[in-house]
Amino acid sequence: MQPLSAEQREKAFGSSKKAEIVERQRLPVRYHVEDFYVEDRPRRFLEAFAAILKHTNYRVALDHYIRISAKCARCSVACQVYEATGDARDVPCYRSELLLSVYRRHFTVSGVLRGRLLGDPGLTDEKVQEMAASFFDCTACRRCHFECPLGVDHALITHLGRYILSEIGIAPRALVVSTREQLIGKSGNTSGIPVPALLDSLEFLSESMQEERGIEIPFPIDQEGAEYLFLPAVSDFMMEADTLMGNAAVFRATGDSWTIGTGYYDGINYGLFYSDHVLEHVLRKIHDEAERLKIKKIVIGECGHASRTAKYFYPAFCGGRSALPVLNIMEYTHQAWKEGRLKLKPNAIEETVTYHDPCNIARPGWIVQQPRELLKAFCGNFVEMTPNGRNNICCGGGSGTVSIDEIRPYRTTVGGRAKAEQILATGAKYCVAPCANCKKQLRELMEDNHIDCQIVGLHDLLYKAIIFD
Amino acid sequence: MEFWIQFGRGPLFAVAFSLMVLGVARILVLTIVGIVEAYRRSWDRIVNWKEVRRQTVHWLVPVGRLWRSRPVYSTLSLLFHVGLLLVPLFAGAHVLLWRRSVGFAWKAIPQSPTDVLTIITLVAGAGLLLGRVGSAAARSISRPQEYFWPLLLLVPFATGFACSHATLSPRTYQSLMLLHVYAADLILALIPFTKIAHCVLTPLSQIVTAVAWKFPPGAGDRVAATLGYADCPSWIPKARLAKSGHVVAPTVAKTATERVEVKLAKQEVTAQEVTAQ
Repeated sequence: MQPLSAEQREKAFGSSKKAEIVERQRLPVRYHVEDFYVEDRPRRFLEAFAAILKHTNYRVALDHYIRISAKCARCSVACQVYEATGDARDVPCYRSELLLSVYRRHFTVSGVLRGRLLGDPGLTDEKVQEMAASFFDCTACRRCHFECPLGVDHALITHLGRYILSEIGIAPRALVVSTREQLIGKSGNTSGIPVPALLDSLEFLSESMQEERGIEIPFPIDQEGAEYLFLPAVSDFMMEADTLMGNAAVFRATGDSWTIGTGYYDGINYGLFYSDHVLEHVLRKIHDEAERLKIKKIVIGECGHASRTAKYFYPAFCGGRSALPVLNIMEYTHQAWKEGRLKLKPNAIEETVTYHDPCNIARPGWIVQQPRELLKAFCGNFVEMTPNGRNNICCGGGSGTVSIDEIRPYRTTVGGRAKAEQILATGAKYCVAPCANCKKQLRELMEDNHIDCQIVGLHDLLYKAIIFD
Repeated sequence: MEFWIQFGRGPLFAVAFSLMVLGVARILVLTIVGIVEAYRRSWDRIVNWKEVRRQTVHWLVPVGRLWRSRPVYSTLSLLFHVGLLLVPLFAGAHVLLWRRSVGFAWKAIPQSPTDVLTIITLVAGAGLLLGRVGSAAARSISRPQEYFWPLLLLVPFATGFACSHATLSPRTYQSLMLLHVYAADLILALIPFTKIAHCVLTPLSQIVTAVAWKFPPGAGDRVAATLGYADCPSWIPKARLAKSGHVVAPTVAKTATERVEVKLAKQEVTAQEVTAQ
């Protein structure tokens, strides 16, 4: 990869933030942060760290990582951010060491003794500032985890680092504001979409489909006892009409009972990106809605992080092994197609189509083959990016950074650079990115890098290929 | 000098070896207890054991990974580790020493393969060190111990090789042997307390990571309560700030920072009020 030009560098690392805000908050980061108590930050960071260690399972991992980390730098080859910047501070292991060194110094006996003996003052405010900047440069895509011979999961450390920072008031305003609306706001979802607007929008979509396909494709609302509760990223209701129509069409074709609950209809969970506390409370909202409607299974729409939070953390907070099963809509569609309940017209899409794996669902090996099999069933010309599947490259907007609009130049110049080159190399007309975050990031990436490729969801294309009985 | 060599091979070795065994047992037990505790604390007990096993085996025998990234460095690393494990355990002289002192031992590797392995280890070790110095990414994350360890590890290999081959004057031989024995004792004793501990802990990495991602239910609430924010979580920052015992309103706000803090502190928005809004 070519190194960044001086102009690109300036664009990517520049910040539109006012100098007085940076000074007031003593926080030289590109993203906006709500005003919070600035004094005594290192002490409060350590208090929050201690409280989190006391009540969670991170300690075992940190202990293990400080013992085994051999600093081999192999992770550097897996990181698209480091590849683009070439800055040593973007090596995943360097980033992790920021937090691991704090742990070693303040939470291990040898570290405390050594600190006392050598007169090491320990955590400083500069270091807190460095962590605040560094942990939000990482997209927590977990690709480096696969490259670490010793099994260190740098994304886990980024996740923990952000959680601690959020407890002392340092978290991107974009995420915090959305979460607040979701948890205590009137609309109860991250986009602030009220129920009447939702119903209007769905009715309109239903009518459009009636016109296009000549049959009634409903969006069932508040159907008690339905088999599936459908939770897309709430932004889909306003921004991704085509995806939603595809989703509804699949349910119509299979004939399964499904519903959207007006009590809660947002799959988004920014807790994964900065706070376990938020993560749990948002999942509880899903749980409450599922209980209210006596649902049997939860289906998450085309959204990577929403699917991962529900699949991997719903059991953690809402019932363990007896928690409701969670599916991604692509999993559902694939299953129906395999069972012959969904028929697709071969070669319905003739243009070149490629597939972008959202990290959150591909990295664990959960959803890799299903969308590909579906795409091959109705696309005449499907091409792969390299690398792909579990080893894919992140779109550059992972871990919530896509929602932070003020860092768009950084995302499209640094974070998404490798992805842009990958997509360009395929020469595809459509890039299927079944994730609300990836879609937004990739669209901005295509626009800023002047690449002519249309970013769509899987169900956007699938909608055109469904054969209704 | 002969006495000191014997001392290093005998009592000192016994101490170093015991330290290693006990230290390694300690970290192993601590890690396993940690894993079990974490597992029991979480509600979600669904672990993808197949994946954990696959990744663990994958990295214990990383042959398939060599060519995917940094092929030269990876190959050198693999060769280095193979030599590091085999030579000390199976060198003829070591096996003989063990049999003499304990009464039983295992089969040794013949001299010439041992020599080849030793040379490979030395070359690979030197290569790794050069690779570290030469790579900006590796340099940026290297602590002093990252340079010290490979050098220390290579000392017994170089001296052992010299002692078993070169025709040396008795004095040189003894000095080298002394260095060989004491360096090896030092390494053994330090294993559990340094990053070399990865030689026993690596098989547990994947499972440690898997359980660390299991978040215990209610942990977020308990963290907030411990920090004194039981009824105002982080998504109500103003309430948190007002409630915060950390805010001591200065009589005269001098800086812009202080003014903001005082202003926010005066608003005294409680969690309930914000919720009501």
